[in-house]
Amino acid sequence: MIELIVTSLILIALGSALSFKSPKSVFVISLIALLIMLLLPEYRSYVALVIAIGVLNLFSMTLMKNQIKGVDYALTALIAIATVYVVFTNDLAMILLMFVITSIPTYVLIMTSEGKANVEVAIKYITFMVLATVLFLAGAMLLVYANSVNAGYLYVLGFVMLILGLGMEVGCAPMHEWVPDVFDTADPIPVSIVASIAKIVPFVVAYKILIMTTNPLTTNIVLFVAFVAAVSMFIGNIGALTSTNPARILAYSTIANMGYILATLVALINLNWIYLAFAGALLQLMANAFGKVGFFVSIKDGGASTYLTYALAFSFIGMPPLIGFWGKLFILLSLVKVGYIWLALILVINSAMSVPYYIRLARILAKPTIPSVVNAIVLSAVALTFITIVPPNWFIDLAKAIIGGV
Amino acid sequence: MIDIATLLFLLFATPVACSLPIAFAWVYRPGAEWARKLPILSVFGLFVSLCIALYILFYFPNGTYTYPWLPDYNINFVFIFDYLSKYMGALTALIAFLIGVYGLEYMRHDYRLGWYWFFFNMFTSSMLLVVYSDNLMLLLIGWEGLGLASWGLIGHWFRDDDELSYVGIIGRKVGPLNMFWSPSFGGWRAISTIRFGDMPMFFAIAAIYALTGNLNISEIDWAGLFHHIGAIGTVILMIALLMGPFTKSAQLPFSEWLMTAMTGPTTVSALLHSATMVAAGTYLFMRLSWYIEPWKLHHMHGVEMVYLFVLFLGLISALYGASVALGCRERKVLLAASTMSSLGLMFACAAASFWLGKIAIYVAFWYLIVHAFAKATLFLVAGHLIHATHDRFCCGDLELARKMKVAFVATVFATLCLSGVPPFTAYWVKSAMDGIMHHLMHEVGSAPLYLLIAVSVIYSAFLAKFLSLNFIKGDKPKHLHLHGEVLMPIAYAIMVSMLAVLLYAILGHAEPIAGGFVEKGFERSSLAVGLAVLISYAIALVVPRLESPIGRFLGDRMYMPALNDYIIPKIGWAIAKIVDYGNRLIDTFCHQAIPELIATYSLGIRAIQSGYLKRYVKIALGFVMVALIVASLVRW
Amino acid sequence: MNLVVYAILIPLLVTFIAPFFRPRTAAIVSFVAFIIPFFVTLWALLTNQSFELPLMNLGKPIGEFYLFADSISNAFGATICLVSAMVALYSLPYMKHRFEEMRDEIDDVTREFRKYFLLFNLYAVSMLWLVYSGNLILLYIFLEISLLASFLLIYKYGYGNRQWVALLYFVWTHIAGVLTLIGFLMIAFENSTLALKSITTVSFLAWLLIFLGMIVKLPGLGPHIWLPWAHAEAPTPVSALLSPLTVGLAGYVLLRIYLVSPWFINEFRNIIIAYGILTSIYAGFSVFKQTDYKKLLAYSTVSQMGYMLIALCLGSYGLLGVVIQYISHAFGKSILFMTAGGIIALYHGLRDVNKMGGLHEYIPTISNAALIGFMNLSGILAVGMFGEFFILKGIVDVYGLDLKLILAVVFVFIISGWYSFYTLRRIFYGTPKGMESPRVSRLLDTPLYVIGIISIAFIFPPLATLFLKSLKLCILGGVCP
Repeated sequence: MIELIVTSLILIALGSALSFKSPKSVFVISLIALLIMLLLPEYRSYVALVIAIGVLNLFSMTLMKNQIKGVDYALTALIAIATVYVVFTNDLAMILLMFVITSIPTYVLIMTSEGKANVEVAIKYITFMVLATVLFLAGAMLLVYANSVNAGYLYVLGFVMLILGLGMEVGCAPMHEWVPDVFDTADPIPVSIVASIAKIVPFVVAYKILIMTTNPLTTNIVLFVAFVAAVSMFIGNIGALTSTNPARILAYSTIANMGYILATLVALINLNWIYLAFAGALLQLMANAFGKVGFFVSIKDGGASTYLTYALAFSFIGMPPLIGFWGKLFILLSLVKVGYIWLALILVINSAMSVPYYIRLARILAKPTIPSVVNAIVLSAVALTFITIVPPNWFIDLAKAIIGGV
Repeated sequence: MIDIATLLFLLFATPVACSLPIAFAWVYRPGAEWARKLPILSVFGLFVSLCIALYILFYFPNGTYTYPWLPDYNINFVFIFDYLSKYMGALTALIAFLIGVYGLEYMRHDYRLGWYWFFFNMFTSSMLLVVYSDNLMLLLIGWEGLGLASWGLIGHWFRDDDELSYVGIIGRKVGPLNMFWSPSFGGWRAISTIRFGDMPMFFAIAAIYALTGNLNISEIDWAGLFHHIGAIGTVILMIALLMGPFTKSAQLPFSEWLMTAMTGPTTVSALLHSATMVAAGTYLFMRLSWYIEPWKLHHMHGVEMVYLFVLFLGLISALYGASVALGCRERKVLLAASTMSSLGLMFACAAASFWLGKIAIYVAFWYLIVHAFAKATLFLVAGHLIHATHDRFCCGDLELARKMKVAFVATVFATLCLSGVPPFTAYWVKSAMDGIMHHLMHEVGSAPLYLLIAVSVIYSAFLAKFLSLNFIKGDKPKHLHLHGEVLMPIAYAIMVSMLAVLLYAILGHAEPIAGGFVEKGFERSSLAVGLAVLISYAIALVVPRLESPIGRFLGDRMYMPALNDYIIPKIGWAIAKIVDYGNRLIDTFCHQAIPELIATYSLGIRAIQSGYLKRYVKIALGFVMVALIVASLVRW
Repeated sequence: MNLVVYAILIPLLVTFIAPFFRPRTAAIVSFVAFIIPFFVTLWALLTNQSFELPLMNLGKPIGEFYLFADSISNAFGATICLVSAMVALYSLPYMKHRFEEMRDEIDDVTREFRKYFLLFNLYAVSMLWLVYSGNLILLYIFLEISLLASFLLIYKYGYGNRQWVALLYFVWTHIAGVLTLIGFLMIAFENSTLALKSITTVSFLAWLLIFLGMIVKLPGLGPHIWLPWAHAEAPTPVSALLSPLTVGLAGYVLLRIYLVSPWFINEFRNIIIAYGILTSIYAGFSVFKQTDYKKLLAYSTVSQMGYMLIALCLGSYGLLGVVIQYISHAFGKSILFMTAGGIIALYHGLRDVNKMGGLHEYIPTISNAALIGFMNLSGILAVGMFGEFFILKGIVDVYGLDLKLILAVVFVFIISGWYSFYTLRRIFYGTPKGMESPRVSRLLDTPLYVIGIISIAFIFPPLATLFLKSLKLCILGGVCP
């Protein structure tokens, strides 16, 4: 297994070296590196979904000329590989490394643009990311240490720091300030990567660490998670309601979605149901990723086919049988199950509040249907949101398998 | 030989089926020459049901016939043939047929024949259903049919553009009240009043079903039922049940709809609003009493209260109706008020059965029959007069009487027969009624008897007034157009001659019950009442008009319209207004206030994005600090 | 496999086939696709068929997905099929008129018809499948699909500020849907399954959430405010499905949960029945003040849905009342919305009742159809009679001769009759206002009469005998005593 990963990594490294000669070959090599991942024997559906997102990201990268053409493919592939690998290991150092690996390439990517390097955005982004990474890593260390010496106070501190770091990394309110600015001013294509695949690893890592270190205090401290999640949902959805700029709408939508996903962490109080919460989080992350890739790619081209934009919007709203529905369903299931009914109700209200702006977004980005690369990419994203047309109970098994070994 | 099921099916279905051709013809080719011939088919349908009804009258044994409808619920098509239903059925079919014939001519040039004949025939079927059905649910189907047909026919001239179709003097106002009513308004008022009564009745039927599991009037264990629900339950149940008959028969305070129902064509007034439909209420009461057998339930106070209530309601309504008729100058409205009065008498008389037994029901029923023929005749004459004089108000002198001899003679005979002048038909029946009220002295006191006598005297006075104002001492009509009608006079001539047949039946002892009537008629007290009636008849004939404020008060129906036109609508509209404000409030709150509030917050949230990193870091780090400090301070 | 399953598969397939035909053919194909299952489900209803068809097993806590039918499903299914079939035909002339009105926004009418029929059939078929789904999640999915399709129809083809109205509709019903969903999920955990046949208990909170969600959807007093907007501004064929079929399905959901676990309704019977009565009377009075014909009908829908709430509290006979009330209201209201649409199509968007009056003069066929529609609403000589009958019987069964309640419920029924005939007079009778007599397309009136005749036929044998027998066997004979 590790051989495959290493092979992919070597391929990417070699590919990047080729970037000066022919960016196109880097694309092909990165693609191959990603597809090799499919040979992994375990967690096949997870790998397939992540690779699907990665491949979509790769293809969308082709839409953009930039200063580091060639290397960008390699970086994108690297994030995807890290995202795949994170579920295979339970080693603390390794998962924290994966956390960093998915974070760093985005610093570079976010800077790229078709004209001059986008330094101002990058500064905002990097400032927050560095803060987030520090908080997250410090929190993780504290947690593990507190767990080993059984120090309650340290545990709480570590927990809070980890959540704060996580929230800052993915863009939860009230540490969300970077999100609207970065999403709006950076080029849509790198943003599509930041908003999609890069969100998965932080959550997986957080889950793994938090599950590893649960102790009796968890019951109380998850209230903090619930609080941040609720604030995030409200800020995201209310903020999006009056925005008219598609990128900003998506930024707030991201904030809201991160809130939904963060909310699942309250399931820590009852580890019997944590697999369900994790399934919800993961599925919602996938739904978010497909939707964000689709929308940001449409923004790049000023819009996509009417049918596609509406389909994406409905997935976000949570219409069955689209993937967004199942994500929210599992999240609600876990919240209800562990007794956080009020949080579930807040989620319901937010889900209803989000309807207008998703529809508006779909309308703004709607264009007549014509054959184009953008439409092809968006179509693939839409097709992926339809994978749950058969109820995804396999996803629960998957989540159980990933989380079970921790 | 046709079996009974087919026969009954034909009885109810033929009229409706025969009216369908014209109904459809009028939808697709309104007013076509060939379509104007189709009413004959409708009348043929009425004729078929008449034949069957007569066949039933003469050849059917008494008893019930059951055909499955909802057998799993013990609700079935149950038809009953007994004294009441056989006569009532034949009466209904005969009058419907005669009026149908009259209508062929009367409605010849109408603009809406499809509607008219469909509802006319549907009415007949429904009425027959009400008459023959023993099952209350089945009866209710007919009952609803009556209400619907009545609505359709009252509002027949829906355009409201013909002065002749109004009730009241157009433009007249008394205080805030408009004292004139258009056909479309009349229809709405009729159905709204009737719904008001039908729904409690429907409830009562459902309640009876819930309590006994049976809906066949003749099979229900009424005594057991009343015993089970106690006195208060009995009163609730019976009053709810009787709300249907009360509204249908226009008893106080539901009388107004019957007055404005006169906006319909005269044929309709004759058939529905005098002879049959309004009588269905009293008929139902008689039928119920027939099988409840209240005279065996003397120990039940609930039942007694109900019957006492009906007795006085009937008498007071009768007095009210008679007084209004006395003050009324509109031909049809006068007759409508008098109809209401008669219906009150029927109720009162039938209610006396609680104390006197079945005989009271017989008397009430005979009065119903006499009244039906006489009143139908008068209405048909009134219709003919309206056609001839183009005037809704009473007018006409002896010259008119000479020109319309048949009408004149029919009116004279009908008024004499109906008012109870000895020795004409109603005299004998009324005598029996006097006797019954007299008997009540011991139980109820003398009020019923005096009320009855008062009603009788007034009744004969306004009938004479009707005769006098239309044929003898009335104003000369402004227009007089006789079109050489043939069918119309024939129809009312036959109708009025039925009174003679009845007279023969009573005097000739053709009907066993009638023997008692004759006996009563020769009692001194009855003769005295008869004399009083005769005197009032004579006076009114000579002095048909008396201008006085009291007369105006009576003619304006004692301002009862205020209830329907002012008080209830005012309350209703006030509630509607409150409700409307409520809706607006909720609407504004949910669809404006909340979205605006959220929009304000949204702008606030977006205002954070100033673009300056310093500020962002301050906020984010501030939150981190606060969170960490709080986490540290809380004692875990 | 059961005949009913084949029958309800037809419209599902046709949903995706119909858009390929020309508008006229598409309308006819859709009509046929719904009328066949109508006859089949009607047959199944009359002969008390029932079946169960397992689809797949999802394991805990969602449980088995399966289709099933009993007489309740068949009664709802037959109603949905009939109304959908008739509205499909009716859509053709109506939407032609609508596209004509929208010509600035639409470039190709045939193309729009394709989209329209796709959405229309999807909408109708999702409701049809809803009543046959045996798993609450499956049921929820169909609920949301129907919501989505109807939302899009309003969003694309509605009147007025249609996008705003569509969103409003979506938000309200989405809240309703998700609240219910949470309730369902709680059931899932309590029973480890959401298959209707295996659920045994429903806890307080689950019941409450489902009830609240369905109250929004039904709608009860308060949340009812979304309904007049949505029903009035939707294109009329959509209104003619939305109001008669969709909102009543909330009653269906409550009925199903009730049959599983009646304790909640029984426990809070007094409050719910009072709320139902209040809703009904309140909305009934609202009808009088409306000047927009479609809004008027929408309020009457609210009033009629109050009946459902009332009936739900009245024991097993009340449940019969719920089913019959659904049928009766569906028939009546679909006819009435189609008459409203007829007037809109013939008089260039005329909806203001104050500008009507005497319309019987010009469009007698539509006027007569409206009469049948209002007869259905007020329960005169139409299937609604039985509904009212069983509700009234239920009152006596459950509450005895409780005068206050009797007066209230009787008044509810009276109010329906009043506003029905009052509205008839306002719109169709009285002095004609000098309009022209238009040529009425036969598709604008015939479907109305078909529904009308069936609604009347439902009170006579053999239909009445058999369908009430089946319902009795289904509701009274087993599940709940």
